[in-house]
This record gives sequence, C-alpha cells and structure tokens, in this order.
Amino acid sequence: MDVGSVLSGFAVVFEPQNLLYCVIGVTLGMLVGVLPGLGPAATIAILLPITYNIEPTPAVIMLAGIFYGAQYGGTITSVLLRLPGEASTVVTALDGYQMARQGKAGSALGIAAIGSFIGGTASIILLTLIAPLVADAALEFGPAEYTVLALIGILLVATLGNGALIKSVTAAGVGLLLATVGLDPLMGSPRFTFGSDQLADGIDFVIVAMGLFGVGEILYNLEHRLRPQPAVLSFGRAIPRRMEWLASRMAILRGSVIGFVLGVLPGGGATMSSLVAYAVEKRAAKDSSRFGKGAIEGVAGPESANNAAATSSFIPLLTLGIPANATMAVLFGALLLQGIPPGPQLIVDHPDVFWGVVNSMYLGNLILLLLSIPLIGVFVRLLRVRAGILAPLTVLVTMIGVYSIRNNAFDMFLVIALGILGYGMKKLGFEPGPFVLAFVLGKLLESSFRRSMRLFDGDVLGFFRRPVSAVLVAVLLITIVVVPVLRMVRSRQAARIAREPSQV
Amino acid sequence: MSESFARRRVLAVLAAAAVLPVAACGGVKGGSDDAGSDYPTRAVNFTVPFAAGGSGDLISRAVAKAAEKPLGQSIVIANKPGANGAVGGKEVLASTPDGYNIALAVKSLFAITPLVVNDPTAIQPDKMEIVATLVQEDYVLVVNAASPYKTLEELVKAPSVKYATAGVGTGGQLSQALLFKGAGTTATDVPFDGGAPAVTALLGRQVDAMSGSLAETMEHIKAGKLRPLAIFSTERSEFLPDVPTAKEKGYDVVVDQRRFIIAPAGLPEAVSTKLEQSFAEARKDPAYETFLKDNYMERWEVSDEEARQHLKDSATEFATLTQRFGLTFKS
Repeated sequence: MDVGSVLSGFAVVFEPQNLLYCVIGVTLGMLVGVLPGLGPAATIAILLPITYNIEPTPAVIMLAGIFYGAQYGGTITSVLLRLPGEASTVVTALDGYQMARQGKAGSALGIAAIGSFIGGTASIILLTLIAPLVADAALEFGPAEYTVLALIGILLVATLGNGALIKSVTAAGVGLLLATVGLDPLMGSPRFTFGSDQLADGIDFVIVAMGLFGVGEILYNLEHRLRPQPAVLSFGRAIPRRMEWLASRMAILRGSVIGFVLGVLPGGGATMSSLVAYAVEKRAAKDSSRFGKGAIEGVAGPESANNAAATSSFIPLLTLGIPANATMAVLFGALLLQGIPPGPQLIVDHPDVFWGVVNSMYLGNLILLLLSIPLIGVFVRLLRVRAGILAPLTVLVTMIGVYSIRNNAFDMFLVIALGILGYGMKKLGFEPGPFVLAFVLGKLLESSFRRSMRLFDGDVLGFFRRPVSAVLVAVLLITIVVVPVLRMVRSRQAARIAREPSQV
Repeated sequence: MSESFARRRVLAVLAAAAVLPVAACGGVKGGSDDAGSDYPTRAVNFTVPFAAGGSGDLISRAVAKAAEKPLGQSIVIANKPGANGAVGGKEVLASTPDGYNIALAVKSLFAITPLVVNDPTAIQPDKMEIVATLVQEDYVLVVNAASPYKTLEELVKAPSVKYATAGVGTGGQLSQALLFKGAGTTATDVPFDGGAPAVTALLGRQVDAMSGSLAETMEHIKAGKLRPLAIFSTERSEFLPDVPTAKEKGYDVVVDQRRFIIAPAGLPEAVSTKLEQSFAEARKDPAYETFLKDNYMERWEVSDEEARQHLKDSATEFATLTQRFGLTFKS
C-alpha cells in the first residue's frame, strides 16, 4: 500500500464535483433500496447512459454509492413490511419485523443504521490495509470450498426457524427443490420448466423473497383484518437506548468481521455473511429463545455483516477484475464504458479512481448514517397507514419491482403464485426464512458440488485433500456431530442427577 | 369523513396513473403508418436479451447511442435476459413488424444452443430480419501463468485436463470439447455460471484451462496472470498477433461469437431501409470504433443474406463435428 496515493485519494474525494456525486449516489441508493425489487443492479444499469458524460472517478463514486446506499435502504422494508429486497436482508426481517410489531421499529432501524455504518467503515479500513492479500486468498476458494460453505449455510438455515425444527427443515427442503428449476447447470437439460423459456434460467431470488415474505404476509394479514390487529402504538426512537447499545455492540463488531471476510468471496458472500452473523449471535446469546421474537442482536449482527460484505465485495472487482455479484457485474460494465478495464492493473494504472472510490465510501457511509437517522422517523410512520391502503400499495410496489428485474410480466404471475404458497405456509406454521435462504444456497450447493465431483473425478475424499475445504469440513462436523453429542451427554447427566434422589 | 375521502382520491389518482401509460401505448401503436414512410415517429425499443453489464449489453448500448442521430429518434434499451437470448428475442419477433421493436441476437443461439436443448419453439431464421450485423468475438484458450503447460502441444499431451467453460452451450465449451476430443486428450469440462466465474476459477488454478472471449480474458493476459495458448479463429487476432490459431496447430476448430440486430420479418420496405442505413451510419461513429477497440471486438459487417448463410453453415458444421467426434451435449 502506498500511503501517498491513499492520501491523494482523499483529495480526490473532496473535490466538489466528486462530493456531489457521492451524495447523489448514496441518496439514490437508499431510495431504491427502500423500493423492494428495484435493486441496485437495475438502478445502475438505468443510470449507465448518464455516466457516459461524467468523468470516470465521479461516475464510479456515484454508482458505488448506489450499491452500498441500497444496503441501508433495503433494511427499512425488511423491518417494517417484511419485504427483503436482497438475499442479504432476509435474516434481518426475522427479528426486525418482530421488533416493529412490538413497537420498536425505531430501535431496530436505528441499530441497523449504526451497525451498517460501523460495518461499512470497518470494512473500508480493512480494504485499504489488506485488499490485495485478501483478493488472493479469495482465489483459493474453488468449487470444493463453496460446496462445504453452502452446506454449513444450509445447516444454519435449518436452525433459524422459530417453531419446530422439522418444519424448518421441511421448508428448507422445499426451498432446495425450487432451486433446481431451470436449466441443469452442468448438463443444460431443462428441469421443471414445462417447456417454457420463462423458467429456463430458474427463478430469480427477489421473486421468491417477495412472494413468500411480502405477498404471503399481506394475504395473511388481509384474512385477519376483521379480527383486532395488534395496535402499533409507539415506534420507539431511532437513537438506541443504552441497554440496546450494550446488547448489540459486540454483535456489530462480530458482524463487521464476518461480513468483511465472507463478502470477499464471489457469489453469495453477502448472504452467507448475514446468515453466519445471525447464527453466531444466536449461539453467543445467553437466552437464544429470544431470537425470532425481536432480539436486537439479530438485527445488529446481520446488518453490520451485510454492509461490511457490500464493501469488501469491491475487492475482487477492483483488484482482480472479478465481479462478485450482479451489481458488481454492472459496475464492471460501467468501468469498461469509461475506458477503465477492471483488472489487476487498475490500481496501478488508475490510482486516482481506485483510491478516490475507496475513500469516498467513508464519506458515503457517514452521509448515509446522517440521512437515515432522521428519515427513520418518517419511514416508521408507514406503519400507521391503514392496512387497506398499505396492502395494495405494497403489492403495487412489489409488482413494479418484480417486473423491473427482467422486464417480464411472467414474473409478476410467479410472485403471486409464490405469495399464495407463502400464505399457505404461514397458515400451517412453516417459516419462509429457511425456505428462501435454502433456495439461494441450493443453487450454490448443487452447482459447486457437481463441479467439485468433476474436478475430483468423482472421489468424495477430494474434499478432505484441499486444506481450506478440509478445515471447513471439520467446522461442519464439529457443528453437526460434536456439539449435539456433547449436549446430549450433558442433558443425560443432568437427567440422571435429577433422577437419583427419587430412586432412593 | 373528509380523511377517508382524501384517501379515496389518492387511490383513484394512483389507479389512473397506472392505467394511463397503458392507454397511451395502445393509442400510439394503433396509429402507426402501414407503409412506414414517415418512420420513425417515436422512440424505438431495443431489447437486449442479456443481463446488464455483459458484453451483449455494452455493445448494444454503444451502437444504439451512435444510431440515434441517423435514425432521428431515441433508442430505448431494455434488458430482458433468459435462455441465451431466446426469451427477449422471441418476444420481439412476435411483435408487430413496424420497426419499433428490435433486439440483439447472438450466433450461439442459432449455431450452438440447438446442440444442447430441444426447443420446438426455437426462433426460426425466416421469422426474423437481420437489420444490422455488428461484431465478431474470438475465443482464446488460456492457462494460468503458473501452469506447467507453455504451448498447446504440451497441454493436449497432459495426462488429464480439467477445463472451465462459461456454461453449457457456450462457444468456450464447444471449442474446448472439439479441441480435446480431436487431440485425444482425457479432458473434463467444468461449466461455470458465466465467463467471470470461469476466469476466477482459472486464476485460482482450480482448473487447468479455459476458453473465453477476448473481452473476458484480455486484461488478465495483459497483466501476465493468464497465458494464451491458441485462438479458435480462422486467422490470428489483431489483438493477439503472437498467439497461433488452433488451425495452425493442426486442430481444425473454428468457433466464435457474432452479434447482430434483428427485427420481426415483414418490415415495410421503407422501415427496413431506414434501420439498415441508420445502423450502417452508427458503425462509422468514432465512439463506436473506440468501444470496439477497448472491448477487443472485431467488426462483422455483412448483408442479411450473408449473415443468414453464415448462421446456417455454422450450425451444420458444429452439428457435423460434434457428431463425428461422438460428442453429446444433450442429456
């Protein structure tokens, strides 16, 4: 790292034009984040033509701002309406929405904003210090490592649910099955597409999340309209109380680190990081039964993680020229249009762009924090809107968002069908969380596992021969075998001790 | 009372807002001139049947921008990805042939996809008009710079090769399958979910080789991270003049990607002429020229008939080759 170019990067950020584009970018990002479905990738694509006429550095500063700004905005609908627009905010909806129902929407959004700020900022500092190192480490992750990582993720998913384990596992299983819709990733043969091109590329995550969470929830609430609704009297306040802060500060720190590390991995890093952060908080908590019922750590951890991951997902793009997710792919295109090919040479050939963009994120995160705290008060008033108005408006916004993904009307019918499924699941006590996350991870698991099998010539032991994957397998085994066995032994001992006096 | 009235008004306005654009579209469609002599009187919709940010998207945006001036109307790009361009392409071809709906199309959809999937509703070339041909993109075979294989000869003699592709039914897969089969190499294909993940896998040495477009690989070649061994074109590429063609090395494998713009068949003569002229003009634009250079794309500018013939010939050639080598991509 060259200190001189880092510092001159700050000089670049504070040029008035760049400041302006940073503010525009993060504000826009936050707004599109609030609109579920209209994700940052679509927004950046829409704005691509405009960036033709802007210089490269401000253009990329603005587009990057849209991306991480959307992470702040996405939380709002997740918490207030249970509408996660991104896979990485699904777990936030679990406890965030419960907090909102208990009249603590303000606290949930407040801690999410603060966590996001800390996570994002910590991640930029780490990026500045060790970006090239981390980038090389990410390349060590091959299909084998992704397979084990996805397996760990799916196991974590199964433990997310609030109710019976069997129901969580069932929901996750169906999610895995739904992930197989589309062309077989290795053979190209169509599966469950019913001869239609519409399903050839599988089902987009946003459609599944919007259907099961958003539309399903609306249908469920409509049915309950005649019964007394739990009145949301207060929204709490956006600045967390001392108690809430004490409860979440460690969660924020842990989430930031988890997010930074997993965010570097191309493909599903941000989702995995929010999931892992949630699981870690649930394990770390003294009373894990609070989770799923409005535990503030369940919001703080994953939100810090997904923002840290959003930032660190720039590392593969800027240092290797590898887009880590759909939004990065569009940013990749934006850089190309600017005549700056993203690749290993970027930091050498265009240090002003690299450090200008990286350092603009400090400022962008600060603006977002300052912007979100007062706006929280505005957004939570949404909850005061009568269901009869809020429900159709939410459906309308959902439909626009879903349509905007591929400009395809078929997807709108799909989201309704999934909404009905989500309604049915809720009636029968199945959680949509495990379903949706298993759906996301299922694609990763299947394709990575089958790629690994080809690379290992069909030898499963291959997973043990690669150092990183072997370590991950060990983690997996400890979680699913050793921990439950220990717990069982302990509970038997406890039972024996409890029984002994009565046997006398 | 007044509050609920206000609410109803809001809803009514919203409902009206939702209906208006639809009505407006219908009105304009009905009013279009059959002969098309005054074409274009409004914006032209350009469907890009690929995701935003990819090569197909970028070339479309570049050429559309250059074509707006000669066309005299704006061109509105909409990404509608799915099934290697089949979803968006079919929709545009099903629309009224009035020149207001055009789409980008790729050669692989016509020459390679049929080898992989049975699609009874696949786009028939006689249902489309090719209003402009744009570019040719070559595939290059690369290995990691740290790989022990320095030449194509060394690679094909390797005891076993695991090669990455950008997915099933891509030129990268076909070119490598034909090469390794022809050379008698024990090789396994590992399809990834697009070009970038395949390049990533090669950079991390998860695989031994990959064949990708120049746009996907060139930056890494320049940075010295990947080593090009051969190019699957008839002649050497202007961008990699030192890299031999597979043909020179004795493997008659020529696979490339070509991109062109289609419209539904049956365009009025005046409309089709206007579109052809506008895109011909656009291809001369200096910004478009720079774009091609920056993205390592070569010009492919031929007539509708030549383009059709090329698609047909390639489809036959690929089908014959795969059959001869006993390769099956269908399952």
